[in-house]
Amino acid sequence: MFGLPTETALLVFGFPALWIVYTAVFLYRSRAWRDEDDGDGTA
Amino acid sequence: MSTSVIFFLVLYYVVVLGIGYWAMRLGAGEDLEGYLLGGRKVGPMTTALTLQSTSMSGYMFLGAGALGFTQGYWAMWFAAGDIGGGVLNLSVIGRRMRKLSRMFGALTSIEYLEKRYPSPAIRFFAGVLTVFLLGFYVLAQLIAGGKGMALVTGIPYPFALAIAAGIILIYTFMGGYLAVAYTDFFQSIVMLVGVMWVVVAALSELGGLTAANNALNDLDPTLLSVWGKDLGFQGQWGVVAGALLIFSAGYMGWPHVVTRHMAMSRPATARKAGMWATAWNLLFVPAPYLVGIMAVLILPGLDDPEMAIFQVAGKLLPPAVTGLVMAAIMAAVMSTADSLLLQTGSIASRDLYERFINPHASERQMVTVSRGLVLAIAAIGYVVALYEPPTVFSIVIFATSVLGSAFLPAYVCAVWWKKANTPGALVSMVSGASVAFAWQYLDYVETTQIAPMLAGVVGSTVTMIVVSLATQKIAPVPSCIKEVMDQAAVVGPIPKRLLFAADDGLSPEAAAIDAAGNRRQSR
Repeated sequence: MFGLPTETALLVFGFPALWIVYTAVFLYRSRAWRDEDDGDGTA
Repeated sequence: MSTSVIFFLVLYYVVVLGIGYWAMRLGAGEDLEGYLLGGRKVGPMTTALTLQSTSMSGYMFLGAGALGFTQGYWAMWFAAGDIGGGVLNLSVIGRRMRKLSRMFGALTSIEYLEKRYPSPAIRFFAGVLTVFLLGFYVLAQLIAGGKGMALVTGIPYPFALAIAAGIILIYTFMGGYLAVAYTDFFQSIVMLVGVMWVVVAALSELGGLTAANNALNDLDPTLLSVWGKDLGFQGQWGVVAGALLIFSAGYMGWPHVVTRHMAMSRPATARKAGMWATAWNLLFVPAPYLVGIMAVLILPGLDDPEMAIFQVAGKLLPPAVTGLVMAAIMAAVMSTADSLLLQTGSIASRDLYERFINPHASERQMVTVSRGLVLAIAAIGYVVALYEPPTVFSIVIFATSVLGSAFLPAYVCAVWWKKANTPGALVSMVSGASVAFAWQYLDYVETTQIAPMLAGVVGSTVTMIVVSLATQKIAPVPSCIKEVMDQAAVVGPIPKRLLFAADDGLSPEAAAIDAAGNRRQSR
């Protein structure tokens, strides 16, 4: 790919892909945070 | 020197100073929380971009380019970790650290450590180590700024260095976290536009990425390898792991970076900030390394590899755009330097001077101490940078390795492990810093093929676990701290009784804040 050896292509494109997946999973798993507000200690 | 270059540089400085002045006025009249943390009202996008631009220093325009130029695609191991550094940091400790710091009433990342691991020794050791290493890190920014300005403008290096140091000082003295955060936001955009312009120009010059890689293959196939030029790092997984670790997990141990969590408007800000951080990193992080690699073809006779990006820009871009690239490097330098100096000054004045020397220090005295130290660091940095400048790469790797090794387990365990206690944290910080320092100073990398960062983090993590478990009976974690940790895990508002729950006896600065607030109200 792009004239790179396979392992270099994996390094250049694979790691960014992994971080995109990580970010997507983080957004999904933290969806319950959306409405959280630490407030003014009124709880 | 081209008038276009001057125009872009002056325009850049005017805009940055304007934003800084506006943000300073925005935060004026607020209390110390307003000055040090922007009143904890920074939104997701600004949080992400100040986190990233603070982390991405002048190293990205000098060190990263040099690494690509000298080692080829091996340099991408650093980028591979770096791309996820922001989201990893925000997802692992962001939300909980925001809540804990509010419940502790902590205003600096070192004060936060003392509240979580109650002992003056924690604050003293962490404060001294941080001031030393951040001061060292500032040195790299001065050299980067001076070198870049000298090359692009033609001004002799000593004068260029003095100008760079002077601008950074004026800018820093404007003061305040909001000024830093909002100018970081603008500067991160300038950095991105500047570096992308160089990437596009370099790839156009070489006929695209595939053609460039084919040309590299003809020149030296090992430059395309993941093991470095002449396969110099072949099989050295310990070095590779260190390269991946230093700018990914390592961020979580940098006191000037984790402060960004404490300043978020809400705990949930970490969520969207993580998304913005990844988006910005995907575009920005690989670019300087790639330009460095392409420079092998574009500038075969380059003497100083750290000048690779400047030289490529100077050769391929028109003067007006070179001015923009110069603004981008200054943005990278200044966005890190201002955060480093603000944090160094804050830690020196609050965590060391007020906490250990003068508990009743007035705000004026604290500002004097803070600015005096900043001036001293800049002066020492100027002399070192002038007479014996080390490479930007070596300084950044040294400072960030020791910082990350010392503080990574302390910050992560602070939010996730209730058995992490004071002896464990103290021994962890001392051992992590010592191992990483010794590993570099004694050059154990050659013999062990393990990077200092990896050795340091293993040392600090193992000692944190072993010492904490061994001392649970003699130094148990106070129940009030366990309670706030439980609360930090819960998604919901903080109960009023848990705000500022830490032992007030450990918080002389809290009294100073109250006193300052009362004085303001009485005026």
